[in-house]
Amino acid sequence: MRGRLVITVVLMLILGVGTSYVGAQAKTTITLWYPAGDVAAGPTSPFHDPALFKPFEDANNVRVNLVGLDYDTMEQKIFAAAAAKNIADIIFVDRSWVSGFLKEGMLEQLPPAVAKRWLAAVSPDVVALSDFGNGTMYGYPQLGYDVYALTWNKQQFKEAGLDPNRGPQTWDELRADCKKLARRDASGNLTRVGFAIRHVGEPHGIVDKFAWALWGAGGDLINDQNALRGGHVMFDNASGRSALQLVLNMLNVDKCTSLNFPDPRAAFLKGIASMQISEAVSIRARQPKEAPDMPWQTGWGMEVPPVPKAGDKPVTLLGGWIFTVPKAAKSDAMAWKAIAWLSTEANDYSVAAKFGMTPRYKSNWAKEPFKSDSYDQALLKIAKYGRRYPLNLGLDGVMEALGASIQKAWHGEATVDQALTEAAQAGNKAITDAAK
Amino acid sequence: MPSVAYALRRIYRRHYLHAYAFIAPVVILFGLFRVWPSLETLYFSVFNVELLKQQLTFIGLSNFRDMLQDPVFRQALVNTLIYAAVIVPVSTVLALLLAVVFTEEFGLKDLFKAVYFSPTVTSTTAAAVVWWWMYNPQFGLFNVILKLLHLPPQPWLMSSHMALSAVIIFSVWKTLGYNMVIYIAGLQAVPTMFHEAATLDGASPFRRFLSITVPLLAPTTIFIVIYNMIFALQAFDQVFVLTSGGPANSTNVVVLELYHQAFRRYRFGYASAEATVLFVIILVVTVFQYIYSRRYEVAY
Repeated sequence: MRGRLVITVVLMLILGVGTSYVGAQAKTTITLWYPAGDVAAGPTSPFHDPALFKPFEDANNVRVNLVGLDYDTMEQKIFAAAAAKNIADIIFVDRSWVSGFLKEGMLEQLPPAVAKRWLAAVSPDVVALSDFGNGTMYGYPQLGYDVYALTWNKQQFKEAGLDPNRGPQTWDELRADCKKLARRDASGNLTRVGFAIRHVGEPHGIVDKFAWALWGAGGDLINDQNALRGGHVMFDNASGRSALQLVLNMLNVDKCTSLNFPDPRAAFLKGIASMQISEAVSIRARQPKEAPDMPWQTGWGMEVPPVPKAGDKPVTLLGGWIFTVPKAAKSDAMAWKAIAWLSTEANDYSVAAKFGMTPRYKSNWAKEPFKSDSYDQALLKIAKYGRRYPLNLGLDGVMEALGASIQKAWHGEATVDQALTEAAQAGNKAITDAAK
Repeated sequence: MPSVAYALRRIYRRHYLHAYAFIAPVVILFGLFRVWPSLETLYFSVFNVELLKQQLTFIGLSNFRDMLQDPVFRQALVNTLIYAAVIVPVSTVLALLLAVVFTEEFGLKDLFKAVYFSPTVTSTTAAAVVWWWMYNPQFGLFNVILKLLHLPPQPWLMSSHMALSAVIIFSVWKTLGYNMVIYIAGLQAVPTMFHEAATLDGASPFRRFLSITVPLLAPTTIFIVIYNMIFALQAFDQVFVLTSGGPANSTNVVVLELYHQAFRRYRFGYASAEATVLFVIILVVTVFQYIYSRRYEVAY
């Protein structure tokens, strides 16, 4: 009798504890795919923090599984996963991939009322990244600016007799500073370039680091920013020619830059390039490890890229990633809820402050630490001049064509006119083909 | 129906069932993951494909017509053919010479053999990343060596004129070890009596190599040439890592181009047409090589 009682109690305990344990488990797991590596716009990636969504998980009895994918093949993996209908609930994607995803009808759209509220609350540059035309949104942009800036080495500026707190403002100043900053060995070979240029690797990367010059001169990649199909290229003109010629002059006339320093960021951080233009956040993230003697503000400075002549409006590339939900997501309602939670004004502030990123809401810019952080304020100033890439389905082909023409012109394999004419033909063909 | 039943009974009686059971997993997997996708690629090549929407619009041969008019595809095709036409003979000849050297006895032979073979077992991507740095015009090993020899530094991967050659050099290095091992095995199978007879007749080592070794290695050479040709025409990973097809498409190859069309521009029908053309080229080249090279087979 006593034995039966013990067995019954033990069984009840097992059942009770087991039931409570199972009951305490998250009812749903949603997955978020993000790019692993050096692409998040901040000194540290918030995705590396497993507690990023903790309050949301506790409040909603859900688990958010953060999964890092290889950046180089992420777009293809997302597409393959969507085709197999086994995709993450939330995907954090490069804005330039969105057009292809839209072509295939892969993404869900935010309700117009929600989009309207968001667009009214965030800073203008975040509006530019959020709005896919007429207030249409497919997700929320990232925290932190992925904006291109001119960075310079302050010590080298001082040694060259330049003002270390002021970068070149015009193309003439850029060329003059470049000449003063370049250094040569006894044989006359450049050992340090005044300004490093990107001319190898993925054509997209080359165009990314050239867009400031093209846009600054008044050119563009495609005539319509928001059209998914149709249009034509806008660089086979005087603007495109002057932008290409600027670098050619630095290469061949001023001889202050070289094709032998193919990675501008690495060259800048190694101290063998005094100036370069690329993602500011990358320099910010890499500098403490790779160039510890060159801290922000005293070691390096940044500004919006220079303009052709005084009085022109500067333009720079504003990249960005967005949190979005694919139509094939298994828990789409919870997925939207999770990214909406991450994008509330309060969480925008707390996450940005915790991970050293910039906030998206206008109101959060008026708060500390962003209000008086010199780096954040410098970024904000640059972001005002940010321009995003067009949405066109032919964009990839246009960038391949322009990237190739930049290489041909700078490598001396074609004249500027020939290179641009060829690129315009290929770019327009890509736009036409993509529209089919 | 009776004939089917008869066939099944025959299979059972002759114990064929075991054989079919053993090969079935491979045949099924090969069919699912190789044959079926290949057939689907051929099918897609005449459609405009919107994969996620599952919409196929029949467009006949439009993809093929567009492709032939596309200068980027034409350049990729020419680059692929140049790549294959150079890498196959160079790698084959060097591998044969190395194999002949390694059939002789000398100190640290096994170590050197391992050194030459090591690229084969190294990941192409990992090796290509290392070579990317070795080709770096500013800090790379190759230009440091050129500098020590008082030769001018070269732009390697940075120049449209040199990049394809640089990729070919890497690929020869990568394939040499495998080809060498196959040749060593082939050389060990050559009967020594032919060499002994020729030596008695006063033939020089070079003469024996040309008149005995090379002809008797014909089956091995056929295998190496066909195998390398197929892989060379499908080159992708080394180009992807070393140059991404640049500068200015100078190293773009067909597989990289179709990858871009499919996964960057979502033109799956067009990419399938490119894959079909590559398939036909590989098939024709392989069949031609096989038929032509059989003339040189020697029986002993």
